[in-house]
Amino acid sequence: MTDEELREEVGAWLAAHWKPAARETGADSMAPRKSAWMAKVVEAGWAAPRWPRQWLGRGLDDHQARIVEMEFARVRAPGSGQDRTNLWANTLLARGTEALKARLIAPLLRGEVGMCLLYSEPGAGSDLAGVRTRADRIDNHFVVNGQKVWTSSAATADYGMLIARTDWDVPKHRGISFFFLPMKQPGVEVLPLRQITNESHFNEVFITDAIVPAENLLGEMGEGWRVLQTALAYERSVMGEAARGPRSGVAETKGEEVLIALAREAGALSDPVMRQDIARAIGYRELNALNTARAKADLAQGTSSPIMSLGKLAMSRILHEEARVRTAILGAGSLMEGPDHPRAEDANFLALNAYFTSIGGGTDQIQRNIIGERVLGLPKEPEIDRDIPFREVRGG
Amino acid sequence: MATLSSEESAALRHSLDRLLADHGAEADVRRVMETPSGYDTNLWRRLAEMGVVGLIIDEDYGGSGAGPVELEMVMESAGGALLCGPLLASGVLAAELLRALGDDAARSRLLPGIAAGTTIATVAMTGDHGLWTADAVDVRAAKSGETWRLDSVGGFVLHGQNADVILVVANGPDGLGVFEIEPGAPGVDIKAMPTFDHTLRLARIEFNQAEARRLDAKVPVWDAVQRALDLALVALAGEQAGGARRCLSFTVDYARSRIQFGRAIGSFQAIKHMAADLLLESESATSAARHAADRLAQNASDAPAAISLAAFACADAFTTVTATSIQMHGGVAFTWIHPAHLYLRRARADAQLFGSPSAHRERYLQALGG
Repeated sequence: MTDEELREEVGAWLAAHWKPAARETGADSMAPRKSAWMAKVVEAGWAAPRWPRQWLGRGLDDHQARIVEMEFARVRAPGSGQDRTNLWANTLLARGTEALKARLIAPLLRGEVGMCLLYSEPGAGSDLAGVRTRADRIDNHFVVNGQKVWTSSAATADYGMLIARTDWDVPKHRGISFFFLPMKQPGVEVLPLRQITNESHFNEVFITDAIVPAENLLGEMGEGWRVLQTALAYERSVMGEAARGPRSGVAETKGEEVLIALAREAGALSDPVMRQDIARAIGYRELNALNTARAKADLAQGTSSPIMSLGKLAMSRILHEEARVRTAILGAGSLMEGPDHPRAEDANFLALNAYFTSIGGGTDQIQRNIIGERVLGLPKEPEIDRDIPFREVRGG
Repeated sequence: MATLSSEESAALRHSLDRLLADHGAEADVRRVMETPSGYDTNLWRRLAEMGVVGLIIDEDYGGSGAGPVELEMVMESAGGALLCGPLLASGVLAAELLRALGDDAARSRLLPGIAAGTTIATVAMTGDHGLWTADAVDVRAAKSGETWRLDSVGGFVLHGQNADVILVVANGPDGLGVFEIEPGAPGVDIKAMPTFDHTLRLARIEFNQAEARRLDAKVPVWDAVQRALDLALVALAGEQAGGARRCLSFTVDYARSRIQFGRAIGSFQAIKHMAADLLLESESATSAARHAADRLAQNASDAPAAISLAAFACADAFTTVTATSIQMHGGVAFTWIHPAHLYLRRARADAQLFGSPSAHRERYLQALGG
């Protein structure tokens, strides 16, 4: 099929089936409509156009799949390109058993299955390979015991992508297995985690004698670390895609810079020290936008760019610094909280929430290790627990 | 302004890097920095032949006819090699001021020599305070009969001691003007300033009823001076970005090869994390310098903001990278023989030329409406 024929086919299909007005209806009626729409997209093979027909795809190459995605994007229809963006379905297709794929691929593409991540533990944060949640095989299923943390959407999820230890007598990376854990069972208890911002976006998940059927194992026993790397790669590529949006990457001036406006409002804009701080903070954000734009240009020319790996570290600095400057602008006003003090609410929230970026998804310190090792080629720290049986590794 | 094709640019950069590797290596830098003139006339001639000296000068006057983007690229290489010479003074500041003023006779008289490297020109525009603003112009011009005469001081004049012609920004009876002066003329006293960066040449020039030729200005004089300063800032930003990258590169190489406690010091997170932070600094400097060059080349309305951002970001990055480099090296970089201090000295110099980082932050905030 030529590009033009494909474009026409997708365009005609969208013209026949996509009713943009459906988006304008109220929230209550939207869910079933969206579900019906997604079912049509999946059935037509547009949800994952790069996948083989056996798995509801169309077997298109990347170039033609992009055409499909562009046609969907043109009319703002959701649901296509999930062979790039659907973390769950991609991981399952890559490493799942035939039985599990047959059961879940279609519902995952239709967005009917709630999912969550069961990776981090109280004792395994930066050192994720140190997980101590255990999965013990009994006949045709596994029994899982342990505790997970930083899990979003755990209360509504149908399955969690779980890493658990199945072998304690081999070094830590080699004794981990990867599962789709059914969440709606008595052995899985979800408790919201109250954050320093006084919000609750994450949960703790307590797992006590929970059951996973053997067919929900992804990859082989003990191969979980590698499956995890596959899943993380999908997660990162989706994040990369998000960063590669339609924006030029260069900050546009939409009216006045917020820090300037805040300082003006607070009567602090004439303070020369404050002016220096504000200029420096705005500069940090602009420099990051320029770095991102340059990285995109490099990528477009086929050169991989080391700059992409710097974005998260840069963003940590931006967020902490902006919060610090906002606080300085308010002065004693930042002592307040509550709806009568929205500026203080903002500054204080941002000061605390900056840690979401500088700790979440790998701390700044882990990020610096990655940059030092993978970008600059510096040697790794010796890992004293790498080659000894996990049973003998010190935890805590 | 015309621009070079991407192939021409790449070829120019390649030739320049080879030339600098052959004739502008560390040993060469150390040799020429101890000479009075502070540059290698042989290397200077080759740079001129290559079209680097006249890079931004119109082809009509024997230049390459390139623009800010190519200049920034060239300066990245120059900065990496700590190139010594009057490129910034003659090929950038003076050449661009002549272009921007629009005095055709002066252009025809001076630009071909500047492009060929046979005339070293420079610009005196600030006094002893070194502020590089219109208010800071110290030299006074007065007309007696048909003759213009200059008095007072031009400070921090780049390669003033090497110049064949000096363009002096001075306050006249009817506002600012640009005056051409010959270094050997009566009433012109040029003294080399003792610079902390030995690869830099600055002069303090006292004018005492010095006879000068007033140049025509087809635009407000400070606009032309600001245009020259903006281009010089873009060039300087490129130099800083290139210097920071080179310094980080040899620092990381050292961290990979230096063994203590039985392992490469770069395997220690204390060192590794410093290196990661410096990479962010140096890549941000590169992005900022190239962006500023692009905006200036487009004459974009946001060019002043982009140039100010590059000015303070590149100054801070170069200073941070070179200062931290010495700490990461340890004792070996506390020695004169190690190149790290040469980069730190250049970084500290570049951070003050044409305005301090704080001044550029202030200008940035104003450009953003604050």
